[in-house]
Amino acid sequence: MKKIILASALLGVLAFGGDQFAMSDADRAMYEEMLEHNPADMDIAWGGELFEANIGSEEALAKFLGVKAEELAVYLSGFPRYIEKLGMVASQEQVLQGAMAEAGKKPLALKSKEMAAMGAYVKSLSNGLPVSIDINANEHMKKAYALGDVVFNQQRGGRGLSCMSCHAPAVIGSILRTQPLPDLGSEANKAAATWPAYRMTKSNLTTLQKRFQGCMENALLAVIPMGSPEMNALEVYVTHVAKGKEIAIPGLKR
Amino acid sequence: MQRRSFLKGIMMTGAAAAVVSPSLAFSAEAPKGPNAMDLDTAIKAITGGKSVSASDKVQLKAPEIAENGAVVPVSVTVDSPMSAEDHVKAIHIFATKNSNVRCADVMLTPANGTASFSTRVKLGSSQDVMALVVTSKGEFLSAAQNVKVTIGGCG
Amino acid sequence: MATKSLVKIKPKTYKVGDVVEVSLMVMHPMETGLRKDKESGKLIPAHYINDVKFSFNGTPFTTIKSWESLSTNPVYTISYKVSEAGEIKVAFTDTKGEANENGTKITPKA
Repeated sequence: MKKIILASALLGVLAFGGDQFAMSDADRAMYEEMLEHNPADMDIAWGGELFEANIGSEEALAKFLGVKAEELAVYLSGFPRYIEKLGMVASQEQVLQGAMAEAGKKPLALKSKEMAAMGAYVKSLSNGLPVSIDINANEHMKKAYALGDVVFNQQRGGRGLSCMSCHAPAVIGSILRTQPLPDLGSEANKAAATWPAYRMTKSNLTTLQKRFQGCMENALLAVIPMGSPEMNALEVYVTHVAKGKEIAIPGLKR
Repeated sequence: MQRRSFLKGIMMTGAAAAVVSPSLAFSAEAPKGPNAMDLDTAIKAITGGKSVSASDKVQLKAPEIAENGAVVPVSVTVDSPMSAEDHVKAIHIFATKNSNVRCADVMLTPANGTASFSTRVKLGSSQDVMALVVTSKGEFLSAAQNVKVTIGGCG
Repeated sequence: MATKSLVKIKPKTYKVGDVVEVSLMVMHPMETGLRKDKESGKLIPAHYINDVKFSFNGTPFTTIKSWESLSTNPVYTISYKVSEAGEIKVAFTDTKGEANENGTKITPKA
């Protein structure tokens, strides 16, 4: 019984989560079926309009990124990437901001609904392709991955929790308030390949970074800003866990 | 052994408090909206007081445990030939303990081919979800399923 | 801006005589009138889709009266028996009287 030591409150919930309050497989299947009618499909359609209005076309985005238009989808499946033009390991949304700025437009805020929709649309261009992040592509990516490792594992806040507290191999599958703690890289979750996703508890399209912020808030950790080096590093780390998994945007999450 | 069952008892109480009480608290003070209507009134408005029989021709699917009351999938399928002479005219969905029990009144025709309707409902507390089906022969058939609403997961 | 919505047919290919699923999804708050604004503390007035009409080539075949208990961004899925090529239109109205329409072509395979 020498599992990772958790804060007592969390341990309490895990210990008696047990069978009684776990959702049945039939129930879970019903929720999974809902993916066929994912309200976020409407955000993707809207995101396509925003993309056209703000960036112009796939060709324009490919040009900004310095890749051939026909290679864009594969290239996009490898984000976050080190982008020389921006001088940083950037999330795909930051690249869209850069492309807007270059076109003389005021970039959409990372936390805006518009950016979530436009970003999800652009990510959906890679649907069906495997997540192809390369953490060894260059020194910048290596550093970002190392930093992401720290962010993921560092215990912070009043309860001394880290991402690892709920997503470590030792606790994955335990039930926390009816829900099994997910293995972020598993075929069922493949987290990075299925975000942005529609969150049923929030009734909106949510990005991976926004989800990280929600976790931090609820676990009483200081919230890391979207687009910061630490947040991008965390996205690199979690995306690498889902490397090779098929991209399917938008996801549908509880 | 005794200590163990004692602990287990405490834990169960704790679990119930943690998982169930938020929804119970909510239901206790559920305010009445402008459309407030209870189940009996809503059913009577449709049947005019005629009897309703539970029928296995009506299949209602909903989760036994909804981990979030805001989005609960509900689907109803009725075994019916959907012919001009014999078809389902209406499927009514009720959330039996919401302040307004009515969720949707679906008027069908033979052109539907199959009598079915699915949607997602908000449930203010644990309760039965019920389907009331009206056939072209003037029958009133029903099916119901209990859905336990919890506040699941974190965030 | 018009209310965003989507109409889908499942499965993607079908022939005359098949029963398909037709669904309407709408981006709509479906306010119950029982929820308070977090900042002002005032009740947010009820605002929900109360009327949905499905028609094929101009002939209505399913009408739905819906209430505030449907989830935010609601989904309505019904069946439809394909009779011929044509167009399904879905008209929906909310309690503020905003009327919208969306639709999809029905193209049965031979």
